[in-house]
Amino acid sequence: MSSYFAELFQYDFMRRAFVAILIITPLLGTLGTMIVHKKMAYFSDALGHSALTGIAIGVICGIKDTSLSMVIFAVVFAFLLNQINRKNLAATDTIISVFASCSTAIGLAILSRGGNFSKYSAILVGDILSITNREILYLFLIFVITMVFWCFALNRLNAISIHLSLAKSRNISVRLVEDIFAMIIALIVTLSIKWIGILLINALLILPAASSRNISSNMREYHKYAILFSMFSGVIGLVVSYFTNVATGPMIVIVASMIYFATYLYGKRSR
Amino acid sequence: MKKNKSLFVGMLLGAITLIAFGSTFFIFQNKQQQKEQDVLKVVTSFYPMYVATANVTDGIEHVQLENLSEPETGCLHDYQLRPEDMKLLSTADVFVINGGGIEEFLAEVASAYPDLVIVNASEGIVDHGDNPHVWMSISSYQKQVLNIAEGLAAVDKKNQDAYTANAGAYIAKLDEMKAMQEDLAMASQGQPVVLFHEALEYFAEDMGMEVVYTMDLDEERQVSAGEVAEVMGAVKKNDVSAILADETYGKELGDMVADSTDARAIYLDPMVRGEYDKDSYIAHMQANLMAIRANFVAR
Repeated sequence: MSSYFAELFQYDFMRRAFVAILIITPLLGTLGTMIVHKKMAYFSDALGHSALTGIAIGVICGIKDTSLSMVIFAVVFAFLLNQINRKNLAATDTIISVFASCSTAIGLAILSRGGNFSKYSAILVGDILSITNREILYLFLIFVITMVFWCFALNRLNAISIHLSLAKSRNISVRLVEDIFAMIIALIVTLSIKWIGILLINALLILPAASSRNISSNMREYHKYAILFSMFSGVIGLVVSYFTNVATGPMIVIVASMIYFATYLYGKRSR
Repeated sequence: MKKNKSLFVGMLLGAITLIAFGSTFFIFQNKQQQKEQDVLKVVTSFYPMYVATANVTDGIEHVQLENLSEPETGCLHDYQLRPEDMKLLSTADVFVINGGGIEEFLAEVASAYPDLVIVNASEGIVDHGDNPHVWMSISSYQKQVLNIAEGLAAVDKKNQDAYTANAGAYIAKLDEMKAMQEDLAMASQGQPVVLFHEALEYFAEDMGMEVVYTMDLDEERQVSAGEVAEVMGAVKKNDVSAILADETYGKELGDMVADSTDARAIYLDPMVRGEYDKDSYIAHMQANLMAIRANFVAR
């Protein structure tokens, strides 16, 4: 069997996919902890769907590289969501739902013009096998940025999520930290969407963190297990998909879901 | 408690790894074929190319012919390469494609395997704008067969004669089909028709039909109410006698339009998928011609 593993890495596309997985999964795992903690699962989902609109806008404006318009739109979208959210006009999940469905509809309407939607359907399920070296470099950059931000903001974000007034009393600029956090989520979601797919990206953000939350008793464990689960599902999913000829993204999410259910049962029993 | 937890996590991940690799290994072993030496491995991009190449390489022993992924692939427009395909291509010597932009992943393949010989079957065939479904016209398909034979002969020089002979024999068979089509075309000449699949354009043209409206229906297509109205309008205005559609995607809409207008719905096979048999192009084309005959001659 070991020779099969050697075979696995003789292909460039597999090596690149592997490196990409090793960068994306810890990133999504880390971000996921705070997204789950701050109950923002809906928010990141909406961001994923806004990618469609971003591409549509890029197509209309004639921008060749639609990832650019996608990133810009997602960042604007994230700010807007935060802004409206702060006004507290309605329940957060309602607002996010409204925004998500609205932007998805606009995106679909524009992209399906002339019956050409099939051209973009790749974005729904993603394709990690076609990642290029340059794109891996981008991912790595965003990885570094996120880690720096994390060192600086983790405690602040945590304080904000525990209690807003407490955070303010500690002189934390809630707005700034939240906006940067939203922006980073937007960047990562849009940059990795091509590889993971709109339908699955949120699963990868939420599942490892949620599994870890089932069993951890402190922040350190929470992070440790989230990253472990995330990387584990990524690597196992990729390898299994290689040998069994199943699409990679869904396989990763299946592994992550298995972990979730197991930790759920364990957490319930030991509580 | 703490120790318990690490133990649990370790066991969980271990168990999943075991299950994953156990089942993977099982599947893998089932699929494992011994690697043959000294073969010319020819991979085709999708169904009609497979059938054409199967005819060209018929009886040539050391050619190993394979098609990308499953036959359910359909029209390739929205096809995603899978690890299996990349693997297959990495061992291939020749990759036969339809060309005309239908293989959207082609650039990716070409950059990943610069040594792979790519045979573009549509080389030199004039297509209409961006309609790459040229195999639907028998004469273009014959040209594709020739192109494939030439492409393979250039790589595998010692079997050059065999490729040429095979291509010649197959083209002769297709000529019979073409004669039959030309006969039928007398009946369908000038008939105004509506098409529900881009691929049928070439077929309708060979039948001498006058295409008044084409609506390209495929897998992921959502039809707007305005379009349906437009089709109905075109059918009524031009006194359209038939709607040519593909059964898989066009049946519902075809039946609906046929019910509410005087036009008939004729279901044809665009031959983007089917059984892996070297005679299947001829069989399907014959079925298509029969459907035309039933609707235009037998009445």
